[in-house]
Formats: sequence, C-alpha cells, structure tokens
Amino acid sequence: MDTVSPVKSLTRRISTTVAGVAGAVVLAGCAQNAPQDTWKPKGDNAQMIYSLDKLVFPIAGIVGVLVSALAGYIFVKFRDKGQAIPAQSHGKPIVEIVLTIVPALILTVVGVFTFRTIMDLAETQDTEMIINVTGQQWWWEYDYPAQADQGITQPIITSGQLVIPEDTNVLLRETSRDVIHSFWIPALNGKKDAVPGRIHLLRMQADQPGIYAGQCTEFCGLSHANMRMEAIALSKEDFAKWVANQQKPYTAPAEGTLAKEGEGVFINQCARCHQVNGIKDANGKAIISAPDENVYSGAAPNLTTLMTRNTFAGAMFDMVNQKCRADVWDAKSEDFGAKYLAGVTEDCLNEKNLRAWLRNAPAMKPMYADPAKLEKTNGLYRGMPNLGLTEDDIDKLVAYLLTLK
Amino acid sequence: MITPGSKYFLGLTGLGLVSAVLYCFLVNPSDLGAYALFGLFISAALIAGFSIFTSDGDTDSVAEAVEANTETTAPSFWPIVFALGGALTLLGIATNEIVFVLGLAVLVGGAVEWVIDDWAEKASADTEFNSFIRHRAIGALDYPGIAAVVLGVVAFLFSRIMLTVSKDEASIIFIIVSALIFVTGFLLAAKPALRGKSTAIISVVGALVLAVAGVTSALNGERKELVKYAKEDPYSISHRECGKEAGEHYDHEANGSVSLRSGVIATIFVEGGKIRAQEVGLKRDVQAITIPRSNSTTILFRNLDSEEYRLVANLGEAKVGTTDVMEKVGTCTQLTGKNEEQALTVTIPKPSNPEAPYTLTVPGATGEIKVVVP
Ligand code: HEC
Ligand SMILES: [Cu+2]
Repeated sequence: MDTVSPVKSLTRRISTTVAGVAGAVVLAGCAQNAPQDTWKPKGDNAQMIYSLDKLVFPIAGIVGVLVSALAGYIFVKFRDKGQAIPAQSHGKPIVEIVLTIVPALILTVVGVFTFRTIMDLAETQDTEMIINVTGQQWWWEYDYPAQADQGITQPIITSGQLVIPEDTNVLLRETSRDVIHSFWIPALNGKKDAVPGRIHLLRMQADQPGIYAGQCTEFCGLSHANMRMEAIALSKEDFAKWVANQQKPYTAPAEGTLAKEGEGVFINQCARCHQVNGIKDANGKAIISAPDENVYSGAAPNLTTLMTRNTFAGAMFDMVNQKCRADVWDAKSEDFGAKYLAGVTEDCLNEKNLRAWLRNAPAMKPMYADPAKLEKTNGLYRGMPNLGLTEDDIDKLVAYLLTLK
Repeated sequence: MITPGSKYFLGLTGLGLVSAVLYCFLVNPSDLGAYALFGLFISAALIAGFSIFTSDGDTDSVAEAVEANTETTAPSFWPIVFALGGALTLLGIATNEIVFVLGLAVLVGGAVEWVIDDWAEKASADTEFNSFIRHRAIGALDYPGIAAVVLGVVAFLFSRIMLTVSKDEASIIFIIVSALIFVTGFLLAAKPALRGKSTAIISVVGALVLAVAGVTSALNGERKELVKYAKEDPYSISHRECGKEAGEHYDHEANGSVSLRSGVIATIFVEGGKIRAQEVGLKRDVQAITIPRSNSTTILFRNLDSEEYRLVANLGEAKVGTTDVMEKVGTCTQLTGKNEEQALTVTIPKPSNPEAPYTLTVPGATGEIKVVVP
C-alpha cells in the first residue's frame, strides 16, 4: 500500500463512494416488489398521469443532461489558466432570441399537455359511484352512501381498505376530522389532500381486480408513516357479494360460547369507542358508541365487519398470517376476488398481531394514548389506549372478533 | 491612575456604596431600594473601571486636548428615540402587549441607528466620508422602515374613513381617490417640469386631507351596521327561529353571511315548491344524503323559487340539560331569496337510527331529504 500516494488513495476512495451510492440509487429503482410504484398505472387516472410523465420526463431529462453537460464543459474548458481576458462583446441577438423561443416552445408543449391532464383528472361528469373518505390520526374511514343503482341499498362503513368495483368511475369525497391528510394510491391516481371542513374530490378507477397499496402523504403527526391504506378492486359480481355481506344484519354469538363471553368483554371495554352495528346490551337495547367523548378526532374504526379486512390499524398490520397474505396479494386477477372475500378465517388469523394490539395498542403503533398526558385534548385519546386487559379477556375477545365478518 | 473621565463615576460609585450600606442598616436590607442602590454602585464602578482602563479624557498637553475636541459631533436624535423606546417598552410591560412590541421595535431601531451613527462619526477625519459610509451602512434600511411606518399610518387612517362612510360612499371615495392617484402619477411622469415643488405641495395637501378625514371619522365611530354586528351576532344559535315566517333577529341581512359553497357535501334545492337534493360529485337527485359521523359538514341550500325559504335540519331529540325532558335538536339557515344560496354546517356525533333518520326540510315547501349518518 505504501506505493499509493495519499492523494491518489483519497481520490479513489471518493470515486468508489460516489460510484457505490449512484449504483445503489440506480438499483433501488429496479425493486421487484414495489407496490407503490408511480410508473405502473393500474387504472385510467393513473394512466393519464403516466402518459403525461412519458412526455415530460424525456424532455426534462434531455434538457437537464444537455444543460449540465454544457455547463460542465464550460467550467472545464474556460477555467482560469492564467490566460488573458478575451475581448468582451454585448450580447448576440440571434442567440438571445433562440434561447428565449426554444424554452418558451418547450414549456408551451409541456404546459398544454399538463393542463389537459389536470382538467381531465378534475372531471366529475362521468361519476358512477361516490364514497366518502375521512382521514383522521392515523387511519382512513370510508363510508358508502346508499346508491341503489350500484346495489348499495343502505350505507356501508368500513376502514383501512377501500373496496371498489372494477372498471367503475368512483369519486372519493375526501375530508378530515382533525389535521390535513392526503390520500394516495399511486397505481390508481395522484394524491389529494383531505382538509378539515372541506370536501375534495378524487377520481378512482381500477382496470382489474387486485389490491393496490398507498399511504398518507401529508405529514399528520406521530404515526403519519403508519397511516397506510389499500384499495381493493373486485369484479362487479364480487363487489355485489361484498356489499351484501357488509349489509347483512348482526348475529350475536351463540349463548355459552367463548365468543359470547367475548361480546360481553367488548361491550364493557370497547363499545364506548368502537361501533358494531346491531350489537345489543343484556336488555336488548342497541348500543351506540360514543367515540366523540373518547377520541380526539371523534371517531374509531367501525368493527362490524372487521374480519372482512385483512389489514388493520391504518393498514399497518396484517390481520392474516404470511401464507394467507401471500395467497391474496399474489393471486391472479381472476382468483383475487374469491380469495379476498374469504376474509379472515380461523386458520388465517394472525393471532400474534391481533393479540399484541389488544394487549397494548400504543406499543404497536405510536399514538397519544398515555392517560396521564391528555390535558391538551381535554382527556381525549389520539389513538387507542392500553386497556390493561387480562389474557383471559383477550382470548374471549379474539374469539368474538373472529365472528365479525 | 485616576483619569479625568473617571472621576465623576468614581464619585458615583462611592455615593452608591455609602447609600446602599446606610439603606440596608436603616431601612431594609432585602427590598427593592437596596437592590437599586447596590445596582447603582455596581454599574457606576463598572463604568469608572472602563474609563480608567481606556484612559478616558487623559491628555498629556492642552494642545492635544483641544485637538481631540475640534471636530464637534453632529446633533443626533437617535438617543431620544432610544430613550422613548425604553419608556414605551416599560409602559408596555405595565399596560399592553402592542405598546410593548412597539416600544421594543423603537428601542432596537434607535439603538441600531445610534450605534451606526456613532461608529460612522469616528470612522475617519473626513466628515463627508463619514456621512457617506453611514448611508452605505444603514441607508438601505432607513427608507423601507420609514416607508413602512408611513404606509401603515396611511392605511390605518384610510381604513377608519372606510369604516365610517356608508358602503356606497366608500365605493365612490375609492373610485375618486384611485383616479386622482392615477392622474397625478401620469402627469408627473409625462411632465417632468411639474415635479419638485408641486409634488411636495400635493403630498402635503394629501397628507393633511387624509389626517383630518381619518381622525374625524375615527372620532365619529364606525357605521351603524358594523357597530350592530360587533354588539350582537345575528347568526347565533340562540337567535335561530326556524319557522316559515321571518324571524325578528335571525333573518336580518341574510346575504351578509359568508357562503361556504366550496366545501359542501350536498346541495339542497327548492324548485316549484318542492325540495330535492344532489350529492356533490353525483349529478342526479337523491332522496337521502350520507354524511360522516362527528365531523362538521356543510350543506348548501339553493332556492330557485321566487318565494323566500329556509333549510331546516331536524337532528333528533336530546335531553334538556340534566333533566329528562326531551327537546328537538335542529338548526336552520336564514330566509333565502330567489337564486340565492345559504350554507348550513352541522356536526352529528351519533349514527342515525334507521327507523327515525335525521331529515332536512323546508317549511312551506313539500318533501324531505333523509340525512343518514353511518
Ligand atoms: C378510547 C377509545 C378506544 C377504545 C376503548 C378501544 N379502541 Fe380500538 N381503536 C381505537 C382507535 C382510535 C383506533 C384506530 C387506531 C389507528 O389505527 O390509528 C382503534 C383501532 C382498533 C382496531 C383496528 C381496527 C381497524 O380496522 O383498523 C381494532 C381491531 C380495535 N381497535 C379493537 C379494540 C378492542 C377489541 C377494544 C376493546 C378491548 C378496543 N379496540 C377499545 C380506539 C379505541
Ligand atoms: Cu395522515
């Protein structure tokens, strides 16, 4: 090594580092499993954005490379080597005119296509179905207004996974219950902010059945990075099945089962925040939850059909085990619907995750759920608190929650 | 070595120390007076020390002393500004925040200007050069600062005038003033000969008119309806009278209320005496609208008929206070004329009961729209 001069070895070290970083960046672009790739459109709206990208990126790339190369050439070629200062001239009209007109033309072309795409993406005349999407720290709620022509006779409410029929122009009506969030399913469309007190419209359309991942893209506090969501596209028949299942009346677990005991625990511990539609107390009176009195945003996920969703807590955790998860995610488009509609069966349940959540939710997902630090929110939680349940209670609850599908 | 410049402060130091000790023995060693006198002692000693250290005022000969004093310093008003700032800041601490902030600004501004002045004055033997570097150092900040203050005063006085005159008069004043500014600017630009004296005259006259009018209108107070709005809120819940007839308070000046039309979830129309609804984003009539639970949600009401109507939201029943008496809960818009819009914002914390959903109605018109809260 002593033959290498220190200067040379430093240069070499720097160049290897640069090459390494550049290589890593390039390779990162080739990830095989990148569900949030913006350049793999799976619906009309994402396709529009992609088509625009295909036009703008090469232009921007060529301009970028040309300008950098030219600048680099000038830096090197005309650097101060002690030569005399050359004769100075005042501008060259032809160069100035060209350098004004060419960028103006490029920008005009890019501008025309960009504006057209923006307008097309804002179009709402072709809407076939509307869904209300409400963001809160740190999960999304979806409610479907009754739309008889889409087979939705009563409103549906769910969370985390947005279920839509394939090849249907769905219009999301976004808003927020606390701070600004932003809804983004890269394979289906661009982002749109969800702002408290306002309704923002976002088109969604998926060409084929499948599961499309996304995440909140407006920093919204502690668990922003854990505020994920999935859009599930089902064939029209499968969607009808999903709707029918969401709307079917509640059936209480049979007397004497573990699940029945779990229902009791649920009523005592959970029903003040979580609504289960149709659940009744011992006197046969409907139980209406009061998340507005317990949670800062005023809402907690509706658990009526919890086990039809295969992720939970802002799509952060799998409700199903690895094998069943792979089954659904990797399913071919034709088989996807049936696999998704199977929901969370006893064999598939990811008990570890669910139990950990019930045992101590804030330990799984950072939330403002310390009972001693709630002055700022008037005693309201942001997130789900640790309820100090016994393992016994958790057994019963898991048995009960498994019936909610 | 005791320098001439330090003598006064040495004396003050002695006085401070003696009076502080006496105060402690005779009055009270632990109250504010003792702190003040010890403070005097310490600060005088500090200055005396500096003075000795820098040989202040110490000259070897009369000639040298005369030489040092030939260049008289220019009179400066910054020390006064600085002192004023100090007084305002203290006054502000005792009275209110705005005075305090203002005082602080004056204090800092005065200090900076004073320091720069002082530095520039001693920068060289050449007064002209000194004033040049003074301007170069701070001149760039003087003008925007002065301009901001002047603009602030102008805007304040002008706003007083606008709050006093009626709405129609305000538009006329606006038109005349802007036309005058435009014409004057145009004349000054086109005829350079007019600049100079006439500009000064115009500015002075304009300033006088503005000042007199501004102060007079400020004394006269704001125009009637503004005073009324400030006194009582005609849109307050307690004033809502949701019947068919015009309410005594609530239906005054309906169009003064702000429309929230950009963030609505549904639009309710009255057309031909009938009520109908459209969900935003869905261009067809619906019988029920769905709104998210516990979130403030805005509904737009648009009256297409010539008769005046209002939109009423019937939000079930609730117990009155802690009693068991049930009372209807609801809210409504003001009476709305033909082709006019009003926004109604509701927050519903509980899901609706499928048997008895919440409703939207329009007294005097037929039909009702269900409001479903899942
Ligand atoms: C103080 C209110 C509160 C109580 C009590 C509460 N939760 Fe939660 N729970 C929440 C909130 C808020 C979330 C959403 C957290 C997130 O995803 O960020 C949540 C999320 C969940 C989820 C995930 C749901 C989904 O679709 O993502 C489950 C399951 C759950 N809670 C079960 C329970 C059970 C079982 C109990 C009773 C033992 C319970 N919770 C008690 C507030 C509460
Ligand atoms: Cu968010």
